[in-house]
Amino acid sequence: MAIAPERPRTRAWPVVHADQYEGTRIPWPVPTARPVPERLRGSDDVLRINFGPNHPSTHGVLRLVLDLDGEQVVGLDAVIGYLHTGFEKTMEQKTWWKCITYPERIDYVGFQNNELTFVLAVEKLLDLEVPEKATWMRTLLCELSRIHSHLIFLGTSALELGAVSMFWYCFRERELVLDLFEMVTGQRMHTRYFQVGGLAEDIPEGFYAQCRSFVEWMPKALDDYLALLDRNAIWLERTKGIGVLSADDAIALGQTGPVLRASGVDWDLRRDEPHLSYGQLDFRVPVYANGDVYDRYRVRMDEMRESTRIVDQCLRRLERLKGHPWIADDRKVVLPPREELHTSMESLIHHFKIVTEGFRVPEGEVYVATESPRGEQGCYLVSEGGPKPWRVHFRAPSFVALEATATCVHETLVADLIAIVGSLDAVMGDTDR
Amino acid sequence: MSYSELPGFVEQAEAFGETTVTVEPARIRDACLHARDELGFQMLVDIVATDYLNWGGRGVSGYIATASGRDLNFPSTQGLQTLPEVKARRFSVAYHLLALRQPPVRVRLKCWLDDGEPVPSVVSVWPTADWHEREQFDLMGIRFDGHPNLKRLIMDDDWEGHPLRKDYPIGGEPVRFSEAE
Amino acid sequence: MADGPKRLRDYGLQSERLLWPTKGPSHFEEEMGADEIERALGLTTLEKAVRWAQTRSMWPDTFGLACCAIEMMSIVSARYDIARFGMEAFRSSPRQADLLIISGRVAHKMAAPIRQIYDQMLEPKWVIAMGACASSGGMFNNYTILQGVDRILPVDVYVPFCPPRPEALMEGIIRLHEAHLAGVAPAYERREVATS
Repeated sequence: MAIAPERPRTRAWPVVHADQYEGTRIPWPVPTARPVPERLRGSDDVLRINFGPNHPSTHGVLRLVLDLDGEQVVGLDAVIGYLHTGFEKTMEQKTWWKCITYPERIDYVGFQNNELTFVLAVEKLLDLEVPEKATWMRTLLCELSRIHSHLIFLGTSALELGAVSMFWYCFRERELVLDLFEMVTGQRMHTRYFQVGGLAEDIPEGFYAQCRSFVEWMPKALDDYLALLDRNAIWLERTKGIGVLSADDAIALGQTGPVLRASGVDWDLRRDEPHLSYGQLDFRVPVYANGDVYDRYRVRMDEMRESTRIVDQCLRRLERLKGHPWIADDRKVVLPPREELHTSMESLIHHFKIVTEGFRVPEGEVYVATESPRGEQGCYLVSEGGPKPWRVHFRAPSFVALEATATCVHETLVADLIAIVGSLDAVMGDTDR
Repeated sequence: MSYSELPGFVEQAEAFGETTVTVEPARIRDACLHARDELGFQMLVDIVATDYLNWGGRGVSGYIATASGRDLNFPSTQGLQTLPEVKARRFSVAYHLLALRQPPVRVRLKCWLDDGEPVPSVVSVWPTADWHEREQFDLMGIRFDGHPNLKRLIMDDDWEGHPLRKDYPIGGEPVRFSEAE
Repeated sequence: MADGPKRLRDYGLQSERLLWPTKGPSHFEEEMGADEIERALGLTTLEKAVRWAQTRSMWPDTFGLACCAIEMMSIVSARYDIARFGMEAFRSSPRQADLLIISGRVAHKMAAPIRQIYDQMLEPKWVIAMGACASSGGMFNNYTILQGVDRILPVDVYVPFCPPRPEALMEGIIRLHEAHLAGVAPAYERREVATS
């Protein structure tokens, strides 16, 4: 396994005063809403419409109140909250074990990354050491989840721009990823495979061969997608130069993930703040300079390729770790194996305590951030020392990405607005939590 | 790294590898400006408000451990019983900051408030604070002075109450044969 | 007359056997009891033909709310091809749609738009509550999630699981087709919305 090469220091990004620097496109005074310009205010030509919570692009229930001058968007205000599920309050009522089911449904497209963030936060509070096999498998599944998420992004964004065939091709590959999830965890989506301390079960035998064949197939599929889209004049016309977000604006707006990397900022939490086993993996981080829709699409395409390479490396490592434990041994937190319940009284008591009352996590607060397909997914956890969380908050990358909508939309057409919202890749479950 | 030159600095604590700096709520905007300009924290990652009503009072007996740490598989391990430390005020607002450097530097600026006490808004420091502050206002009821558009974001516009507060009921419908929740 | 629940064939009704003589009783017919049969009586040949046509082109509305929407998209994909049943044409406008698949959790804020969309659909219209959250609130029992979309809409078919496999959703759709062919009226004629 190649150690990640030494990266040159990223240059210290200019610290900007958002209300004072030239060339910012962030609207003022409200950064997330573009007001109708002076020349058109009160004019009869401006039509206010609802880009409603139910609209055919599959990004879920986002509502944009648009002011249109003909086909041009001159004013924009985003209304969210149509999928508010009360995750944070619900999780305060459940024990730590039961809580793990919930974060998956937040970002329901990259579901394993959310689960990972929460589980890592609990393990940080517990100071629990996770066995090596579990770490590598978690890395593998998170990268598969990233591929899954980017496939959905590509399929649906291309569908909205009119490249309808891409939808079917991407979903064909998505079925391969879901087959792998189903083989390992028993569920296609919302797998709930990560436990506090490791994984729920061992990795099945047939997984290695099937994952290997997926890893061999996926680059060819990606080449197919590039062949379909990348030289396509219509695709380039629709995506190049649309929705430009400069690097300074992106940092001021708190963007992370592919949106930030497409704006030219070389920042990836997998490489810069390594969690799981990313520190031991060899992968590149794609960075593009223009910050338009095309660059965001290219960043995600390249990320899919890199994710496939990461899955390959994890697979090779896992094949050498067959037979190793997949969950930590700490009986105060992890259920003992069932065979032991017949012979050991302490195991029975531990099992009873964990299942009925739940294990206790020491008092404290912690913030853990991982690189989800959408950006920095963070979990802020406050524990009282009891069996239930006191406060759980998820820093949702889609929430922050939608804040940038008003900045990217600068006298664009409605059709381009759809491309921009698609490229920001916001999942409404993640936005509203 | 010491943060004692932040305006309104109260204290600094390290736990779980993270730094938490407590700041007076009235000076939080100056502290954020200082952090952004002098200390290089270009990105505001998150704003989180927490309600500590009934903290430590529900009979939480704390984390049972041994004197030398958590000991695995030793039965009947009694040991130190830690109780959660009492908080002085009801609400805390935590600002998570990130400096895009190698290696990255993160810090949490925290200020403590009572119910109804406002906090200066940091939208002019980092525009991304706009929706974060609106969300915390909506769900926790913390007022941010100077915010250009402090309306409800997540709940309905005419919703009454702030759902994430501890005295707001969980809602839903009663389910038979389940726990008391 | 045989003892036990009357079957459609006891009344001389053919339903889909009109065009498929060797097909055995459908799931729905096997599960239906005698009291439901009365409502299914009186299908003329023209009605049977119309119902056959309706089930073969029941176009859904693009109404994806949450995670179930991703599985709903995957029934359009090539592996679980819904185009076999003539339903790949998801209409964006509710005025052109026949079927509303509530795929995902219904937040309080979204309840009014959902009702508005349902009202904009033209009769005959059906509703499938896909997933546990739409059927009953799922794992969320709190201040913001409707405990089942049948609080605001009359639902024809409930598809459980979280999220249902695409095959499970298709089973729900097929049962809806069979019920319609057998003469069961859409839910808005039979049920009220949940009142408790």
